[in-house]
Amino acid sequence: MVKRSWQTTSLMALVTAVLVVMTACSGNNGGNGTGGNASSEPSNSPSGEPTEQASEAPETVEIVVWDKPHADDANKALREKQFADFESKYPHIKVNHMEQTKEKEREQFMTAVAGGEQPDAYFTAYPDMETYIAEGIAADITELWNGHPDKGNFLPSSLDAGTADGKIYGVPSSMYVTALMYNKQMFADAGLDPAVALKDWNSFGEAAQKLTDPAKNQYGYAILGMDWADWFFEYYVWQAGGDLTEKQADGTAKLTFTSDATVQALQYYKDLKWKYKATQKNVVQSLDDNQKDFYTGRSASTVAASDWFGTMVTKGMDIANIGFAPLPAGPSGTSPAQVGGNYWIINPKASVEKQEAAFTYAMYFSSKEVMEEGLQFNKDNGIFPNLLTVRTDIDMSQFVEGMPTDLVEGVRNAAKEPHLEYFLKSRLSPYIVKPIQTVLLDEKAEPAAILQAAQELAQKEVIDPYNSEIQK
Amino acid sequence: MTIKRFSIPWMLILFLFPSVVCFLLFKYYPLLHMIYISLFDYSIVNPPGKFAGLTNYTGILTSATFWEAVSNTFVFFVLYLVLTFWVPVIQALLLSEIRKGNALFRFLYQLPTIMPMVAGVLIWKWMYNPDFGLLNYWLSFVGLGPYLWLNDLDITKLAIVLPSLFAGSGISLLLYYSAIRSVPTEILEAAKVDGAGPWKRMWTMLLPNIKFIIIIQFVTFMSGVLLAYDNIYVMTQGGPAGSTTVVSMLIVNTAFQQSRFGVSAAMSAFMFLVIALLTIIQNKISSVKD
Repeated sequence: MVKRSWQTTSLMALVTAVLVVMTACSGNNGGNGTGGNASSEPSNSPSGEPTEQASEAPETVEIVVWDKPHADDANKALREKQFADFESKYPHIKVNHMEQTKEKEREQFMTAVAGGEQPDAYFTAYPDMETYIAEGIAADITELWNGHPDKGNFLPSSLDAGTADGKIYGVPSSMYVTALMYNKQMFADAGLDPAVALKDWNSFGEAAQKLTDPAKNQYGYAILGMDWADWFFEYYVWQAGGDLTEKQADGTAKLTFTSDATVQALQYYKDLKWKYKATQKNVVQSLDDNQKDFYTGRSASTVAASDWFGTMVTKGMDIANIGFAPLPAGPSGTSPAQVGGNYWIINPKASVEKQEAAFTYAMYFSSKEVMEEGLQFNKDNGIFPNLLTVRTDIDMSQFVEGMPTDLVEGVRNAAKEPHLEYFLKSRLSPYIVKPIQTVLLDEKAEPAAILQAAQELAQKEVIDPYNSEIQK
Repeated sequence: MTIKRFSIPWMLILFLFPSVVCFLLFKYYPLLHMIYISLFDYSIVNPPGKFAGLTNYTGILTSATFWEAVSNTFVFFVLYLVLTFWVPVIQALLLSEIRKGNALFRFLYQLPTIMPMVAGVLIWKWMYNPDFGLLNYWLSFVGLGPYLWLNDLDITKLAIVLPSLFAGSGISLLLYYSAIRSVPTEILEAAKVDGAGPWKRMWTMLLPNIKFIIIIQFVTFMSGVLLAYDNIYVMTQGGPAGSTTVVSMLIVNTAFQQSRFGVSAAMSAFMFLVIALLTIIQNKISSVKD
């Protein structure tokens, strides 16, 4: 009897101990190490909004966000106010704002990821999304997104670059569209009507040639030939009716470097440099130098994004002197514009609570209220706004009052044929930049031949390994 | 017979301990970890990722892009060797002959070394500007140019090396100068009395005496040039058309732009082996000659 009682007591003690341990393990709300997918059931409301019915105050969650403005940021005061507003609206979310370097941001971010220090929320550009999704750096936020009441107020296209296999990995934050920015006065001085000059490749080549005057140290078109040369070059391939790569139905990639469209585009780049002699001498100069040449009146035109007006005006350009129009149509008769922008991504290794808090933070900064506040700030301070927005419920006409109507119209026209950047850009970029730089530096280079060589190399070193990995 | 008592040199251990720990932690651990990473299709989010064996190594050894970067690296090595390595040796030899104003010259040679390297490179980049650059302007007075220094596939490498010819010898010069000064003046004076001219004194007395410094400097120079990154990145970012992409730049791009950390680590391991091998060969040759 005594023995039995002892056994029963021991068993009960063991069961109790196991239950206590299990409870302790499952009851970890502290925010460490649960990791995994942000699609797990949120602890607050799906939107991340504070639940009014909650009887107890939510537990404080601390998140790290790399969004501290630089000391010389024109929006610093606004951002700091918005940070304070967020904290008062969501007192249970404590945000540590960290400042990132101005250059080599990607390297800094990847180093942090490798070191296990990925911020809980991070602001990233469209082209990086492909890599971050593939590498598992951006959390799958599909469930959080779908449960959010504000999701219907975003442009469906704003989600494209942040979506893979039907899953959503980024909260849209901003969008821009690229087009040709030109100096109205320089065009007028050369007796050129922009509507005619910017009609197609030929008319633009001739106009750019006319705008080039070495005696005045002035040239027609600031071409991008640096190590990001593929960024603008791809537009010319689209204008010729093609693209640099094709994503196949099974997820594999196919190169189209040797297609007629790519060869035509490269030939046109070569012509701008050698036939029309309409570009700068230093064809591999940086994008900053291209911008500088434009706002100082050295170059009459350049490819630009719809959110660059502020920079140009800050640097001394008269906004009334800036023209913005779709790029001249290529052989296909079209002139698609690239759509780019930024997303908020969330650390997939953060705890569910932190992911939810980071999502709440991202949604707050992409909300109507915060975006309109930013637009109003720009308007009040004479900063030309980015006319494209990821939201459908913002009436941009309120914020462009006083802005040149043709510029507003130019941005709208450019956005009519949006296009995302080419597939596998991050891996293929050096392989296509080389032929672009070669034709800009060597008059005798044959576009078809060097593209063939580039394609063979890229096929062997990038596409074959990539496709075999996908097909496994 | 006395038995020698074994004693632990605690003081020695105490003094060596911090540096040994730091060396192991910050030199050998990263080195071994790099080799470890190179054996995986490395995932930075869920390390180490899929085991790849030697696939990353076979991949780089059959990659034309990698061999082009290796070729560029060695062309830079030859250019730096031919154009810059010997300069501080000559400067030190000449300086040792100067009596009046010696300190002033040493100061002037050292002055450029206090300028941050990137700032110096940026100044040269502006000097190379084809539209406003000073270099083309100066050359125009002697009927030369204009040259597209950083836009011409044939001369870009030379343009990157050129600044080191003029302002890259400060510390090396001091080391060589100190070694020369350590040669006893009595020997040099005696040689002079015996009729040895400056040329003969240099070849038979000075250079052999500073040989050990030259060898040490060469090893440092070699690894420095073979792993050069900053000055090339600031000047050309590896362009135009990949003509200045060196292995160290390819390593960074492969890791951070393409997220292929395993391949990047394999390239690093390759360069480590190359430099180690060259250093061993060079040491062997030196010891045979001795």
